Amino acid sequence: MRAALFVTCLVDLMRPRIGFAALELLEAAGCEVVVPATQTCCGQPAWNSGDHCAAVTLAKKVIAEFEGYDYVVAPSGSCADHIRNEYPKILAAEPEWLARAVTLSGQVFELTDFLVNVVKLERVPGHFAGSVTYHDSCTGLRSLGIKAQPRALLAQLPGVELKEMRAAEDCCGFGGAFSIKFGAVSAAIAERKCNNAVATEADAIVGGDLGCLLNIEGKLRRLGDDRTPVLHIAEVLTAK
Amino acid sequence: MESRSRQFKANTLAALSNPGLQQNMRQAKGKFVDKRAKSIRELDDFDGTRTAAAAIRNRVLDNLDLWLEKFEASASARGATVLWAKDADEICRHVVDIARRHEVKKTVKSKSMLSEEAGLNLALEAAGIQPVETDLGEYILQINNNEAPSHIIAPVVHKSLDEVADLFEKVHGTPRKTEITALTREAREVLRSHFLTADMGISGGNFLVAETGSVALVTNEGNGRMVTTLPRVHVVITGIEKVIPTLEDLSTLMRLLPRSATGQSISNYVSVLTGTQAAGDLDGPEHLYYILVDNGRADLIGSEFQDMLRCIRCGACMNHCPVYQTIGGHAYGWVYPGPMGAVLTPLYTGLENALDLPHAATLCNQCGVVCPVKIPLPELLRKLREKQVERGLRPQGERRAFKFWARLAASPTLYALAAWFGVRYLKQLAGGRKTITSFSLVPEWMLGRDFPAPEGKTFRELYAERGEKK
Amino acid sequence: MTTRDDILGRVRARLNRTDANAATGRIAIDTLLVARPQGPRPQVDPEKSALVARLIEKSLAQSSTVDRVATLAEAPAAVAKYLRDNSLPLQAVIWPQMGQLDWLAAGVAVAARGAVDADLVGITGCFCAIAETGTLMLCGAPDAPASVSLLPETHIAIVPASRIVPGMEDGFALARAELGQLPRAINFISGPSRTGDIEQTIVLGAHGPYRVHLILLEGQ
Repeated sequence: MRAALFVTCLVDLMRPRIGFAALELLEAAGCEVVVPATQTCCGQPAWNSGDHCAAVTLAKKVIAEFEGYDYVVAPSGSCADHIRNEYPKILAAEPEWLARAVTLSGQVFELTDFLVNVVKLERVPGHFAGSVTYHDSCTGLRSLGIKAQPRALLAQLPGVELKEMRAAEDCCGFGGAFSIKFGAVSAAIAERKCNNAVATEADAIVGGDLGCLLNIEGKLRRLGDDRTPVLHIAEVLTAK
Repeated sequence: MESRSRQFKANTLAALSNPGLQQNMRQAKGKFVDKRAKSIRELDDFDGTRTAAAAIRNRVLDNLDLWLEKFEASASARGATVLWAKDADEICRHVVDIARRHEVKKTVKSKSMLSEEAGLNLALEAAGIQPVETDLGEYILQINNNEAPSHIIAPVVHKSLDEVADLFEKVHGTPRKTEITALTREAREVLRSHFLTADMGISGGNFLVAETGSVALVTNEGNGRMVTTLPRVHVVITGIEKVIPTLEDLSTLMRLLPRSATGQSISNYVSVLTGTQAAGDLDGPEHLYYILVDNGRADLIGSEFQDMLRCIRCGACMNHCPVYQTIGGHAYGWVYPGPMGAVLTPLYTGLENALDLPHAATLCNQCGVVCPVKIPLPELLRKLREKQVERGLRPQGERRAFKFWARLAASPTLYALAAWFGVRYLKQLAGGRKTITSFSLVPEWMLGRDFPAPEGKTFRELYAERGEKK
Repeated sequence: MTTRDDILGRVRARLNRTDANAATGRIAIDTLLVARPQGPRPQVDPEKSALVARLIEKSLAQSSTVDRVATLAEAPAAVAKYLRDNSLPLQAVIWPQMGQLDWLAAGVAVAARGAVDADLVGITGCFCAIAETGTLMLCGAPDAPASVSLLPETHIAIVPASRIVPGMEDGFALARAELGQLPRAINFISGPSRTGDIEQTIVLGAHGPYRVHLILLEGQ
């Protein structure tokens, strides 16, 4: 089974180790993993900021790079959703591209969803000891139904205790460009998220979307917490 | 109502630095969200009911002209006068004309957001007619120098008990009361005398039933009933989109509206009012007027924003919105706050007058999943952003930044080059620490957060290096 | 051009209205108004004792109180007992249609008319009651004025068990069948009036009654 890894631009730039962790997980699940070398960004920032034209260009680029594999997997609910559910809208006016977008749409998965529901991974390769609290990122949760999947994977690590935070499903306030347009509001929302997470006294805050994690980490550090790690689920599942 | 949506950004900062408001908003959030969650569990098929409700609303909107004609005919047949208003001025003109025709000195009002759109109270006062708001929340706002509501169903959600206590002491000249029950009784007594002496009642309309020519009014306090039972004249001001076909449809919608709004299985009073006082009736108005209002609605029909007209004004979207919960309703600057307001305000007051609102959302879709009529609010916000771009309404700098990013992302070589420099620059900026604490490129981010440092190389670089080693 | 023509004209233009599709649209509307499809409804057991039980349960949840007697003739004594138990005046305004009962014997002084501000207790019947939510459905009429359930601080409603229906749809069906056209005012009442406007804390007795008391006639 050939799975193409869509690393996502944020992971590429900020946290390559998440990309490698995803790679390891896919290989552990028995996939032949391909990493298309020219990949950049799925175009979600353009689409969400109202730039239809740029969104079309980037959608076509991703489709051309990623079609033809059995699956496309991204360590992000937000990017996976963009490819799965938005590309067909973005390319609605071009029948040929629309057809290609629809085909790709059926093949793209968020990482934990893929591991649990497609390849049914039963033994994650990592060893992580300690308690974690899990933040449900909005797009993954509400558009792709990512809720049980990361928890099922965490449950495979015998040393992990999951401590649910209050309002785990509440937005962390990131919102992409929102966080740099309305920084004060965004940070205030992030503070509520951090407080709820910290209140669990978990050893680590874990999530599945790097945007949210950077937001939470940035707020946490500003609040003076230099200690609590903020980790992507792939990092936890592959921890050594 | 004059829009202050242009000052959105400044409004948010004021809201964030208002500890009282922050405290009040924190308190309200839990109550609204928890109560709703509990009450929707009473329905065997909540989602199916939402689908049915959306279909009811779509059925009318897809043939709105015909349904309006049907409603008009049914209502007229029962003795109501149906008037039409294109904008705020025409609403006010109609109401003042009606008041003069029937020699009205005082009018009692139950809550109507359209009357806020119209700025009706000021127009009535200018015409020498006394308007009295009778919803407790709206009354509190009126006696506080006509303050604007901050929520469509809980107008004073931004105020604390203490603030209300101070206000009543000052305005009523009575000893200060600190119990909510005592304050409510005081308002009841003041307002009771107004109900008994008003010549005209003004209400909104939750739904207009085409089948019977009725208006359905939903209230908890009973002021809606007072306003439509006691005075000689009743004026209903409502949007043209509020028509529904049948009483069966009303029954379906009533399973959703109170649950979504306040988490009640049913509101205390649901009144279905049809026509004027009949022969022998001991109460009810002798004259009934409907003012059917456009004010921007007609132009949404058949547009990509038509879905917004399904809205039944429950307020669930704002109750669940992380942004609304953080800044309250006043910051939005016009009549409707929260996600539905962020869509309606630019559509009704002009895209250029509310540029920030469609962007003031994380697109978390909490609003979309709670909406009882399945309005895709995040998608509508995104479309409004697209309209702004199409019409050249975004700031130059922002456009350039996005264009630059899009160009980079479209070219793997350029992207790799920029990424190579970028991550190294940021790593250096962090100077060995986990986060960057000063970063002038994203000042808004830095307002309340550090910027986590990148690892220093990109995944693509490292992956390529790994390949070479192998 | 009138405002009406302007508004409807723009709606028509946006919907690509033609004479032909208007004609088919009107037929579709008339068909729908006859068919009156219903949405999904929560299950409510339509068996009489189940309806009674549910109405009681839901009424209590709405902060109403409920008393049960067998027949209409027993209602005045039950009203008197409720008023005494709650230290309320034995004096009430009452729907003219209920005025013929023997209130004198029960010791309650009733005035059959519309309510005024000074009335502290109002006694009504009901058109029917809705078990799903614990709701009274009152239809206004010359002998059933709306003000009686509204102005007094205490509202007592007499509810025959045979008039309990599962849902709002059934109440409307009954109104169509028995009344023909709708009365000027149908009021669905679910418990005492309330407000949550101050700090979202629910307080009973906003503008309408502080107390709603149902007297359920189990044999009628």
